[in-house]
Amino acid sequence: MSDKKKEEEEKKKKLAAAAEEDDDDEDDTSDDDDSSDDDEEAASDPKPPVKAASKASKKDEEEDDEEEEEEEDEKPAAAAKAPAPSRGAPPQVRASFAKNLWTITKREFAGYFNSALAYIVISASMVLFGLYFFFYQGGIWQIDRASLGRMFDFVPAWICFLTIPLFTMRAMSEEKRMGTIELLITLPVRDSEVILGKYLGALGVLVVQIALLTFYPLVMFKFPWTMGAFDWGPFWSSIFGLFLMGSAGIAIGMLFSGMTDSQIVSYFATAATLLILFFVGSLVQFVKGWPGEVISFFSFQTRYEPFARGLIDSRAVVYFLSVTVLCLLESFRQLEGRRWR
Amino acid sequence: MSTDVMIYASDLSKNFGSFRAVDKINFEVNRGEIVGFLGPNGAGKSTTMRILTCFIAPSSGTARINGHDVFEHPLAVRENLGYLPQRAPLYLEMSVYEYLKFAADLRNLDESTFKKRAKAVVEVAGLAQVLGKEIRQLSHGYRQRVGLAQALIKDPRILILDEPTSDLDPNEKAEFLDYLKQLAKDRTVLLSTHNLKEVETACARAIIVSRGRVVADGSLDEIRGKSGRVRYVVSVQESTDSPYRGTGALPREPEVADLLRSIKGATRVNELPTDDRAHAFELTSERDSDLRADIFRAIADKGWVLLELHRDTQTLEDVFRHLTIGEERRNRQVGGKAEPAAVAQDDEDDEDDDDDDEDEG
Ligand SMILES: Nc1ncnc2c1ncn2[C@@H]1O[C@H](COP(=O)(O)OP(=O)(O)O)[C@@H](O)[C@H]1O
Ligand SMILES: [Mg+2]
Repeated sequence: MSDKKKEEEEKKKKLAAAAEEDDDDEDDTSDDDDSSDDDEEAASDPKPPVKAASKASKKDEEEDDEEEEEEEDEKPAAAAKAPAPSRGAPPQVRASFAKNLWTITKREFAGYFNSALAYIVISASMVLFGLYFFFYQGGIWQIDRASLGRMFDFVPAWICFLTIPLFTMRAMSEEKRMGTIELLITLPVRDSEVILGKYLGALGVLVVQIALLTFYPLVMFKFPWTMGAFDWGPFWSSIFGLFLMGSAGIAIGMLFSGMTDSQIVSYFATAATLLILFFVGSLVQFVKGWPGEVISFFSFQTRYEPFARGLIDSRAVVYFLSVTVLCLLESFRQLEGRRWR
Repeated sequence: MSTDVMIYASDLSKNFGSFRAVDKINFEVNRGEIVGFLGPNGAGKSTTMRILTCFIAPSSGTARINGHDVFEHPLAVRENLGYLPQRAPLYLEMSVYEYLKFAADLRNLDESTFKKRAKAVVEVAGLAQVLGKEIRQLSHGYRQRVGLAQALIKDPRILILDEPTSDLDPNEKAEFLDYLKQLAKDRTVLLSTHNLKEVETACARAIIVSRGRVVADGSLDEIRGKSGRVRYVVSVQESTDSPYRGTGALPREPEVADLLRSIKGATRVNELPTDDRAHAFELTSERDSDLRADIFRAIADKGWVLLELHRDTQTLEDVFRHLTIGEERRNRQVGGKAEPAAVAQDDEDDEDDDDDDEDEG
């Protein structure tokens, strides 16, 4: 008996060691570069708080960011073509991290659009945003400034409550329920590739949803209507804020999705968590002292607020990215956990 | 360890909570073998295969695929492996082609190899008609074929197939088994099933598991000989419905039974159900003996009419039932004491353990 326990303990230790070594051990060097890519982006992204002084510079930033997003997908493909340097291993080895990531992300993203869900959610949201924007409390007509600020009161909550949970609810739950996870992870893929691939797939759909928001100012202020000079600064920063908040939200959704094989449970758990994280910010005005600070520290709403005003708050960037990274790590650990239960 | 051992399992156990699904399983499969992995439902076949394919980790014990430990080098293990899980779970929203491409990409096949392999695999699995269809629209049989195609796409050196033929029709089964036999020159196949005919067609060797333990492992002939017995069926005319050509009086049932029991070497005599024209009995004897002559002589001496006499070596089915039936009551709780019901089984368990040792030696 005691022998057995010892053995098991040893095995666990070995496992932990193996997990640490994982990357250096089995990857070719190019993989390491790629896998750290995200982190580097994450680390370099947070900039000191920049006022929306010049529209031009911020616009650039925004565009940069979107390009980065796309590059993330293209780079891997290029990297995969380069012959993988191997250390004494047979030449024909497993695909690189980046290539597998791309394969999984692609499938995941396509999966969303193969089911009606993505279309329904996105188009329904668009209609709703439009209606809200035009009609709620007199709509845009009540506001003199040519701004979409009002819309950005509403969009984040909606995205937290509906879009994100709906996009993430199937990510892992569906695989577990159908058993496809068994085929997927017995292919020569790393758990981290599965998690990241699924994450990026869901994030991709959210990016589509968010990107479509630019449609409103374009229609209102460029063509067919030109209702004055539109202030693009706060708009882009809001979009960026939404994207950051969405990244964190999707990571949270993935986590819940991995805990259950029921999509409904996954949906409600995610929606509830995100709503609480969001609206807890409204309590700040009633709570004094450190509890208030704690609340505003965690609240998505408080964190998002500066973006809506055209500020890029580096602390918020760091916060959202940390939530993302932590949740992804936890998802990863969860998937790996199946191996020592 | 010789390099020819492609699949190696040593003292493999898996507990689900306090339930022991796999209990110290030991076996080896060499290069070029097709091994049937047999056992009743719930015996732990799928669980063992899931451990071998790195889907779950064993609670204790080691397993190696092609020399790579499933625990320490899961990626290396999966590179060499084609695996078809039991229910052939597939992404329903993908087309067959997309799915094969997806599997091939993750297995790092380049475009031209994929084209070549896809052609071959599609032919083997008979998927040409449905290549462009969504998997959701396919019948179970076709889904299973897609699962197979996926497992074969890289022409892996080791195949682990969990009930690959359960949803195929008889023709498809036969075709598939032919393909496996052809394939297995330098490939290694572990094939779980509870269809014994299939094992007899495709495999030279079988491993029988029951309630999480290996109860037999060896060539089919060895296994057939496992129970060490042969079986005779004897029937003797009982009524005069048809013309009676006997010289003695019509026999009554106990008389026949007594006579048969008195034959030297007959270990067990059971009456078989028949109509009232004949008494039919089943008797068993040790494997090496042949009692047919004695049986005939004894009955003829009585002046009775022998209608039927034949001798079977035991079928795989008999052995399978012999080895796995009654096992049901064995306690599978981890660390649990044998329940009263299980005590009766202790002898048999010991017997099984001895068998295992012999196989290893
Ligand atoms: N994930 C699981 N959790 C709990 N029990 C399980 C799990 N998987 C299998 N079992 C149990 O383990 C036993 C062996 O299952 P399995 O390996 O699927 O049998 P087989 O494939 O031989 O029919 C069964 O009694 C089953 O109920
Ligand atoms: Mg099974």
